Amino acid sequence: MDLRYSDEDIAFRARAREWLKDNVPQERRPASGKAASQFDRDWQGKLFENGWAGVAWPKEYGGLGLSGLQQVIWYEELSRAHAPAQHISTAYVAQMHAGPTVMARGTEEQRAFHLPRILSGKSLWCQGFSEPNAGSDLAALKTKGTVDGDTIIVNGAKMWTTDAAHADFMELLIRTDPDSQRHKGLTWLICDMTTPGIDIKPIRTMLQDDHVNMVFFDDVRIPLANVVGEVGGGWSTALATLSFERGLGFIADQLELFERVGRAIELAGTVRLDDGRLAIEHDDIAQRLASIKADTMAIRAMTLAEITETDRTGEPGPKGSMMKLMVTTTHKALSQLVGEFLGWGFMEFDGDRATNPWTHDYLWSWVFSIAGGTNEIQREITADRVLELPKAR
Amino acid sequence: MFLAPEGDEAEIADAAAAFLSDALPIERLHAPDCADMDASLRALLGEMGWFALALPEARGGSGLTAVEHALFFREVGRQCGPIDILAQALAANLCSSAERREALVAGAKGVAMLVADGDCWRLLGSHEAELGLLVTPEDASLYSLADAACEDRAALDPANSLRVVSALPDPLESREGEQLWQLGQLGAAAMLVGIGEAALDLIVDYAKVRETFGRPIGAYQAVRHACADMAIRTEAARAQLWYASTALKESRGDASAHIDAAKHLANEAAMGSADANIQLHGGIGVTDEHDAHLLLKHALLLTRIFGSKRGLLSRLLHARLED
Repeated sequence: MDLRYSDEDIAFRARAREWLKDNVPQERRPASGKAASQFDRDWQGKLFENGWAGVAWPKEYGGLGLSGLQQVIWYEELSRAHAPAQHISTAYVAQMHAGPTVMARGTEEQRAFHLPRILSGKSLWCQGFSEPNAGSDLAALKTKGTVDGDTIIVNGAKMWTTDAAHADFMELLIRTDPDSQRHKGLTWLICDMTTPGIDIKPIRTMLQDDHVNMVFFDDVRIPLANVVGEVGGGWSTALATLSFERGLGFIADQLELFERVGRAIELAGTVRLDDGRLAIEHDDIAQRLASIKADTMAIRAMTLAEITETDRTGEPGPKGSMMKLMVTTTHKALSQLVGEFLGWGFMEFDGDRATNPWTHDYLWSWVFSIAGGTNEIQREITADRVLELPKAR
Repeated sequence: MFLAPEGDEAEIADAAAAFLSDALPIERLHAPDCADMDASLRALLGEMGWFALALPEARGGSGLTAVEHALFFREVGRQCGPIDILAQALAANLCSSAERREALVAGAKGVAMLVADGDCWRLLGSHEAELGLLVTPEDASLYSLADAACEDRAALDPANSLRVVSALPDPLESREGEQLWQLGQLGAAAMLVGIGEAALDLIVDYAKVRETFGRPIGAYQAVRHACADMAIRTEAARAQLWYASTALKESRGDASAHIDAAKHLANEAAMGSADANIQLHGGIGVTDEHDAHLLLKHALLLTRIFGSKRGLLSRLLHARLED
C-alpha cells in the first residue's frame, strides 16, 4: 500500500489549482431556468476550451486521457476552489453517466458524435429510466417501443426526469418486446429531446424548484441507429449506466463533502447560540462535527482505494452502492447538524442555493438518498452482491 | 497510490490468519479459565517472529512497517487475541537494552499492558507476564511487575485477566515521543476492524441457513439491511485503517490525525457490528456457548485503550490534513 502521488500527479494538482484560482466564475449561478443551464454550458465549455474537461476520458474522444486518481485530484481542487457545485449542475447526467455509457457501450458513430459535444457543454442530457409505476423496481417499466422499419416508435411516460426541459438528449429505457417480462425485452435509446411528440411537465419539489419532470411520449419516432447496445439488450446497458451513476457519479460529491465539513467547523466557530456561547464550544456539537469529519476521511480513503483499484483492473468493483449509502447518510448528518446550530438564518429560504447553501443542501439530502436508487435499494444491492445473502425478491 | 493489501503484504496477512486460527482460535475462550497468553503460546509467537514485524532489522526485527503491523493485528482481533500480544510487540520496539529486547522478541519474557485509572493503573494480560508497558501519547515506559502491588479483579472480557495496580517501581526504561502510542493505536484499531469483520461473517453465515416462517432470515429486509449497514461501517473503518497505517509508514505530517480517525471509526464499527450480530442471532446470540459475546467484550476492552471517543474526537476536530 502507498499514498504517494507521482510527479505527474503533483504537477497536475498544482496546474489545476493555479488555473482554478483565476478562472472559477465569480458571478452567482442563477437558481433555475434556462439561465442556469446556460451558466452550466458556459462553465463546461470554458473547462473544455482550456483543456480541463474529461480528465479520465480517452484523448480520442476529447478527454485528457489521464488516470482515475488524477480525476479525483481534479474534483478535490474544484471543491477547494469553490467551483460551481457538480450535483446541481444540469451537465451532471451527461458528464457522469450518459457519456460513460456511450463510451462503454455505444457504436463508433455514437461516440464520435456525442462524446465531444458532452465534454464541450454543447449537449446536456437527462435520464428517462423511472416511470410512475417503475422506480425502485425499474424492471417493471412499461413505456413501449415498436420497431417500424429503421425507427422505433415510443409511447408512454417517464418520471423524475431531472432537467428534462434543458436537456438536448435523453438516456431512454423502454420495452421493445411487448410480450417480455421484467429485465428482458428492454432497449436503451438515445432520444433527441427536439423530436416531435415529447411533452414535458415540471414537478414542483420541496426545494421550491422545478428541476424534475414528467416526460410524455406520443408516437415519438427515434432512429434505430440510436440504440446503445442491442435491441432487447437494454437492461445490460442500463446496469452499466447505473454502475457509473452510483460509482463514478458520486466522486465529486464524496470529495466535496470533505471540504464542506471544514466549512461547517469554521461556521460553528462563528455562530453564537442562545446561551451566548459559540456553537463549537458545545461539546455535543463539536463531537458530532468531528465524528462527521472522521466519516468524510473514511469516504475519501474508500474513494482513493476504489479508484486506484479501478485504475489497475479497468473494472469498477461492486462497492458503488456501499459508497453511495455512506456518502448520502454522512451528507444528511452534516446538513441536520448545521441546521440545528445555524439559528433562524436556516429558516430563510428562497429556493436559491447561492443565497443559503446549507438549507438548500439540507433539503437536497433527500434527493441524494432517493435519486439514483434509494438508500433502501442500495442496502438490497449490498446484501445481494457484496454479502451474497439469500434473495429477498 | 494504492490502498489494498498486495504482494508480500497479502502473503503476511494470509500467513497470520492461518497461524492464529490454529494457535489461538477464538474457541479457546469457551474454556472455564481466563484464556490469557501462556508461556508456550508466547514462545510460539516469538519463534514465528510475530512480535518483531515493525522492529528494524538492525535491532533484530523483520524491518517491516506499520502496514504489516496493522495487517497482523487485524487477524489477532478476529480471534479475540489477548492484549499481551500488542504489549509485547510494542515493548520490543521500546527496548534499548539488546538483551531484554531479544528476550521479548523471542517471547521468553512476557509483557502485560498498563493503563492509567485515576490514582492507580489497570493491568491487562497474563499473570505470567514479568513486565508491564504503559503507553501515553507523550511517552512509553516499561516496568518490572516483580514487586508491583497487584490485585486481581473479575474480568468481563475472558480474553484478558484484569488487575489493579496501586504502586509501580521506577521504570526500567522509558522513551519520549508518540511513536509507540501510534503503533498501539493502529494495533488496537486493527484488532477492532478484525472483530467487526468476524461479527459480520458470523451473522451473514447464519442468515443463510437459519430459517423462520419457512425462509432463511437473510431473505428478510430487516436482517439484510442491518447486515448491509454493518458491512458499510466495517468497510469505512478498514479503508481508514489502511490509509492511516500507510500514512505512518510514509511519515506523513498528518499521520496522527489519520490514526485518530482510524481508531475512532474502528471503535464505532466494532461496537456496532458486535451489537447487531448478537441482536440478529436472536436467543442463541446471548448464550455463553456462542462467540458473539466474546467479540462484544473484547471490543469493549479495545475501545478503552489507545484512544476512546471523546479524546479522539477532540483531537480530530481541528486537525489539519494533507492532500
